[in-house]
Amino acid sequence: MELQLGLALPSNPTSKAFDLNYYGFEANNKEVDLVIGPCYTPSPSYEDINDIINIDNNNNKRSFGQAFENSTRDRVVPRTLPLLLWNNNHPNEEDDPKDLENHSLFAANKNVGDGDGVVGWPPIKSWRKRLCHENQVVRAWNNQMVENGYVCGGRRASNSMYVKVKMEGVVIARKVDLSQHQSFETLTDTLMDMFRKWSEACEKNSNNYKLIYQDREGDWLFAQDVPWRTFIRSVQRLKLLKSSG
Amino acid sequence: MKMMMGSSFPEEVLEHVFSFIERDKDRNAISTVCQSWYEIERWSRRRVFVGNCYAVSPAILIKRFPDVRCLELKGKPHFADFNLVPEGWGAYVAPWIAAASSAYPWLEEIRLKRMVISDDTLELISKSFKNFKVLVLSSCEGFSTEGLAAIAANCRNLRELDLRESEVEDLNQSSGHWLSHFPDNYTSLVSLNIACLNSEVNFTALERLVGRCPNLRNLRLNRAVPLDKLAILLRRAPQLVELGTGEASDLRPDVFSNLLGAFSGCKELKSLSGFWEVAPGYLPGVYPICPRLTSLNLSYATTIQSSDLIKLVSQCQNLQKLWVLDYIEDLGLEVLAASCKDLRELRVFPSEPYGVEPNVLLTEQGLVSVSEGCPKLHSVLYFCRQMSNDALRTIARNRPNMTRFRLCIIEPRTPDYRTLQSLDGGFGAIVEHCKDLRRLSLSGLLTDRVFEYIGTYGKKLEMLSVAFAGDSDLGLHHVLSGCENLRKLEIRDCPFGDKALLANAAKLETMRSLWMSSCSVSFGACKLLGQKMPMLNVEVIDERGPPDSRPESCPVEKLYVYRTVSGPRFDMPGFVWTKDEDSALGLS
Repeated sequence: MELQLGLALPSNPTSKAFDLNYYGFEANNKEVDLVIGPCYTPSPSYEDINDIINIDNNNNKRSFGQAFENSTRDRVVPRTLPLLLWNNNHPNEEDDPKDLENHSLFAANKNVGDGDGVVGWPPIKSWRKRLCHENQVVRAWNNQMVENGYVCGGRRASNSMYVKVKMEGVVIARKVDLSQHQSFETLTDTLMDMFRKWSEACEKNSNNYKLIYQDREGDWLFAQDVPWRTFIRSVQRLKLLKSSG
Repeated sequence: MKMMMGSSFPEEVLEHVFSFIERDKDRNAISTVCQSWYEIERWSRRRVFVGNCYAVSPAILIKRFPDVRCLELKGKPHFADFNLVPEGWGAYVAPWIAAASSAYPWLEEIRLKRMVISDDTLELISKSFKNFKVLVLSSCEGFSTEGLAAIAANCRNLRELDLRESEVEDLNQSSGHWLSHFPDNYTSLVSLNIACLNSEVNFTALERLVGRCPNLRNLRLNRAVPLDKLAILLRRAPQLVELGTGEASDLRPDVFSNLLGAFSGCKELKSLSGFWEVAPGYLPGVYPICPRLTSLNLSYATTIQSSDLIKLVSQCQNLQKLWVLDYIEDLGLEVLAASCKDLRELRVFPSEPYGVEPNVLLTEQGLVSVSEGCPKLHSVLYFCRQMSNDALRTIARNRPNMTRFRLCIIEPRTPDYRTLQSLDGGFGAIVEHCKDLRRLSLSGLLTDRVFEYIGTYGKKLEMLSVAFAGDSDLGLHHVLSGCENLRKLEIRDCPFGDKALLANAAKLETMRSLWMSSCSVSFGACKLLGQKMPMLNVEVIDERGPPDSRPESCPVEKLYVYRTVSGPRFDMPGFVWTKDEDSALGLS
């Protein structure tokens, strides 16, 4: 409940000269002065307020609507932004894994755009927006994968296939959706991109890192040693190890 | 022992009697009886809620209430949640904590909402209050895991640490290790909510913490805690009542069976949340708990579709609160209505808020079903893409006990999809039938008429949110003049201007606050309001530069008006303009 310190609820507006709360509904002959500061010249709108407050002499009630209908104010109304809604068609379709990176939970990105739409609409909190955006990007790609006839190992009802990836020397793990890939080449490219942020000191070259994966039995194997099909069916998680050569 | 004039009760007796009176409203009432009651009451008030941190100053608070133990503060206006309040606007808690650190050494609880708190302030809290027990930071920002480390290290009596939806900076070096700062002999944790943390937490430290705190009831993990680790935690804390899982994407049979075993040991579990990226194959693991659940938050579960949601929800016969994504669809809501007769609160969030076409089969029908089937439903937040007056009327008639009704039709100004009329009648029915309605959010195509209904019927309405609605000042006038209990009014993108605002200036003193953005309120009117109403702070928030570089009739970007007893604030950023204290017409 409110802390009410010395704020007496005015049941009747304080009867000072400035009584703009009187709007002319009651049959009341009271006239109220509108006191305005000496240097301030009222713009046309304030004449309307006077219209509302002063009741004309034959005591006719003036409806509020009547008072306002007479307003012929020419006012500059701020234009709201055009409502272009974000759509699923990315201009750079080949770059979607990067979108995941930009909007992943690990990017402390407060200013996720509301697509091309209006600021703050629909009214959902930033972190929900991030969640939705991640999800949307993934689904767009998954739909494409299904269309292209690619079906992943079938381990989940949804089409995505997230596995955890750790890069040696980097504290924070990432996730990659393997259903978006069909070869080690695209996978390692994507992974190197993902970790670019955290390893700026090192040379970002896929030759410097070796990709290993943990299979269902818990063993760690070099990814390059097996065919992609074998890999994709048994991979549990990934690691990028610095190679010595 | 001091005797009261005209009373035979000594002070101590009165104080004892007053200790049974907890509600602020009641305590405010008894403090007005006479001077001595005022004195006794103020010395014995332990719990204070300040709904707007700028409505009163720390000094005034401390002067009146010298021995507060629980302090709750709210800062930024609600629309800050949707990025409408520019960064740096204010709501800094530092001055409050600085004052409290010397005035209230016995402070036990601090609850903040939409405030900015720094690591330094967290450290000050941790060192100033020896008996500190509860820290709740709801939608706060400005701090990192460093600050949390200080709390962990120094608050020996901490019971509750709840970071609800706050933005916490991750400092790579220490991320996750702040938990290790809880001393080994610290065992009093009852509630821990770290769901909003992005970084990994040191699991060993977490496991040991959970293991040594036998009173732990509420544990909300963050996304980075995988399911296999969750099972370990559950076995350590089978007494948990509320649980938030981490991510659960890797479906592995061994993990699943382990988890199933762990869950079956949790006989007290009543509330579940989390489920980030959960593989649907895991859901059967929670079926055994479902009948006991009273609260279920699936609103982060972007990977669960309608059929799995239905299977889950249909087993939760005792559910009282459900937060879910619109993947549940109309069909799922029908099942909810049939299965969960004790449902009190429903929130349905959009999975694809920016899509042009609907991606799910969720319409007004889902909400109608729930309103029909769930007699105790009184709190609703519903995002959808179509609505009709008929549906709203049906909902209103079904649920006259509705107290909170927030409807968001995603495309602004969407008419009744059947008749292409405005939704005035439908919302009118809501306010007319739901006589205890306290909170209402409008959307869709709406004219001034809906505000006439609201002003006429919304007598208990305390908070109203309006966007892209109305035709003229009449709309605003209806609300300000009709809604007697209105405390908070927030408006965006409506053609409301000076007249209604100025004609109802006195009303603003009876409210906590008014927010108007992208409306038609001129700078001149703001100046006038500020000059004439000394008990109000009239803040013009405008990032286009000084308002007097534009004509006075030019509408302001954003306006935030709130009542205050402490005058204009001293921490305003460059883009906030208000009246100058010294000159009636100047600007600060």
